[in-house]
Amino acid sequence: MSKPELPSRELTLHRSARHWDGHFTAMANPCEVLCQCDDAATAREMTRRAAEEAWRIESKFSRYRPEGVVFAINNAGGRSTVLDEESARLIAYGDELWRLSEGRFDITSGVLRRAWRFEPGAIPPDPARVGELLQSIGWSKAHWHPPNLTLPAGMEIDLGGIGKEYAVDRAVEMLNAGWPQIPALVNFGGDLRVSGPVPREGAWNVGIESPVSAEQAARAVQLSAGALATSGDARRHIWANGRRYGHILDARTGWPTPGAPRSVTVAAATCSLAGTFSTLAMLLGTDAEAFLASQNVRYWCLR
Amino acid sequence: MQLKKFASLGGALAAATCGLLGSQPSVASAAGEEAGWQSDTSLLYYGESDSRVTDVSLRTALRRAWDDGSKLSGSLTLDSLTGASPTGAVPTDSVQTFTRPSGKGQYTIGSNEQPLDDTFKDTRIALTANWDQPLGDAMRYGVGLTFSTEYDYRHMGANGRFEHDFNQRNTTLQVGMAYARDSIDPVGGAPIGLHPMKGQGDSSSKLGNDSKSVIDLLIGVTQVVSRRSLLDLSYTYSRAGGYLNDPYKLLTVVDNTGRPVGVDPYLYESRPDARAKHGLFSEWRYAFDEDSLALSYRYMFDDWGIKSHTLEGRYRWNFDERTYLEPHLRYYMQSAADFYRTYLESGATLPVNASSDYRLADLDAWTAGIKFAHKTSLGEFSARLEYYRQTANPQPGGVGLLNTYDLVPPLTAIIGQIGYRLNF
Repeated sequence: MSKPELPSRELTLHRSARHWDGHFTAMANPCEVLCQCDDAATAREMTRRAAEEAWRIESKFSRYRPEGVVFAINNAGGRSTVLDEESARLIAYGDELWRLSEGRFDITSGVLRRAWRFEPGAIPPDPARVGELLQSIGWSKAHWHPPNLTLPAGMEIDLGGIGKEYAVDRAVEMLNAGWPQIPALVNFGGDLRVSGPVPREGAWNVGIESPVSAEQAARAVQLSAGALATSGDARRHIWANGRRYGHILDARTGWPTPGAPRSVTVAAATCSLAGTFSTLAMLLGTDAEAFLASQNVRYWCLR
Repeated sequence: MQLKKFASLGGALAAATCGLLGSQPSVASAAGEEAGWQSDTSLLYYGESDSRVTDVSLRTALRRAWDDGSKLSGSLTLDSLTGASPTGAVPTDSVQTFTRPSGKGQYTIGSNEQPLDDTFKDTRIALTANWDQPLGDAMRYGVGLTFSTEYDYRHMGANGRFEHDFNQRNTTLQVGMAYARDSIDPVGGAPIGLHPMKGQGDSSSKLGNDSKSVIDLLIGVTQVVSRRSLLDLSYTYSRAGGYLNDPYKLLTVVDNTGRPVGVDPYLYESRPDARAKHGLFSEWRYAFDEDSLALSYRYMFDDWGIKSHTLEGRYRWNFDERTYLEPHLRYYMQSAADFYRTYLESGATLPVNASSDYRLADLDAWTAGIKFAHKTSLGEFSARLEYYRQTANPQPGGVGLLNTYDLVPPLTAIIGQIGYRLNF
């Protein structure tokens, strides 16, 4: 949900050693569905079901799609928008995350992208510019009376921080409902979740990309149930003045949390929960490990 | 944010996610990884019938794996061997007297009994250390050291291996080599081949210690054949040089009635001082919906004239995710070494090399067993029970009295093992 161009809605299927490997692009990310079934037709149908759900969520919650809910909210010009049940659930979730993170996570902080660039060679923004943008950030300024949401004119919401993990969970629900007996793995741009029974090998072998360099070997994680999500990554950061600026920004300051890990990967029952834990860990900076250690989840924190 | 608040924060986040997704799945996440510590401890019992050799072996291994795929592992094995081992001499119809290998003492074997040396008692300590490291995405290498010591034998070795994945990881090529240098310091000295066993205090047939070296080379390929099956193929070459005799093995020189002849009828065995061995190995592994099967065949031949075939199969029967039962069946057959002699005949020309070690004879062996394993939150427990039976043929054409004996009696053994593996 971060690039304006329409993604290609192509779907490809390959056979690999132990499963079928379905590919498509959604939410500007390469997505895959690994299916441990015998025939190609079933694998293609499973991939299609997951892809259609991903594309549906992308259209509905993209800031750029005029037909979508987020576009309607952001362009209401200070008027109230009545949300459907699913959109209201996502906004309510954002509201909870804002409250629980004490404002660090904020679905109105997307406007910071106007100041921050994370391409190679980019430099950190002018603090004055960030300060200016902070004026239009703050969930407390929104009027949220479910199902009615009103944003002050000039403010925007962005569900990019939770949409991809939500899409993974929804796709897994689809697969679990349609093919409960087929082991599958849904992976949208590195956030993933297991569907169906344990695969024949006992677990899915998942590689987590090293945040240090693309050349360094990926770590292998064996996942037999549940989900993995990662926050922070190898490419979306910049170096300036001898320090590293990651792309997870604290909505209260407009800057990355000092002392944040380079990346955090969390295993949890659902992708949404794993993603929430990993994002919050990034926002807690030096306390990331202490927070994760108290959650009784497996995590991999890279500094 | 206060640390003590974190625990309740997690609960609140989980509840919020629950609200988002409608309901929470019943299964929690089950993520493991290679990284971390693993310990593996096992106790093995090997007992041959008729109170021959008994080995009780305790092995403990520790492995540490890191996130980047590198691994450090080490193991310690303690073996305690006791019992009686065939000397290689043949039975006869009178009492036979043998000098103990130390040269200090004698023992006698009753008439019509197979000569066994009951002084067989040793404790062995073996250590290994290995380091494995990925090289990028598709390559790995490993290096290792091995060491073992027992009363009369010391082994030191080093090994290295390299693997490369090709063809979208459907093909893996392996090459490996190992070098070992062993020193042998037999009780009472290393006997000179085909020299007579002398009486107490006479060491004229013995020299001091000796040594051997072994080089092993391996080249192999693992190929994914289909979604369910894998094929392993490899070739091994092994070259040993130096003192390759068993210093405690004898041959009886018999007269034309089949009885030991002369004053010193027992000669120490003599094997060539080099051995080149070639092996071809293939294994096919197949995964069923729940269970799996592995079948392998190995062909070996060496320049001692031994050719062997091994057929082996294992079927892993998974009851559930935590428990399996694995029946195992193995058949082994080999032809005798060119210089294998059950005994030597007086008057005939003495061969250059001769050994009556039954392990160099024409033999067949069966192993049948079953393994049970169960995983719990405290680790994986396993138990294995196997039965081994070996039958061997003496050299053809018996002489006199020897026709009345079973010169190479069958050997049976029971193998029991219990193991415990823990990841932490």
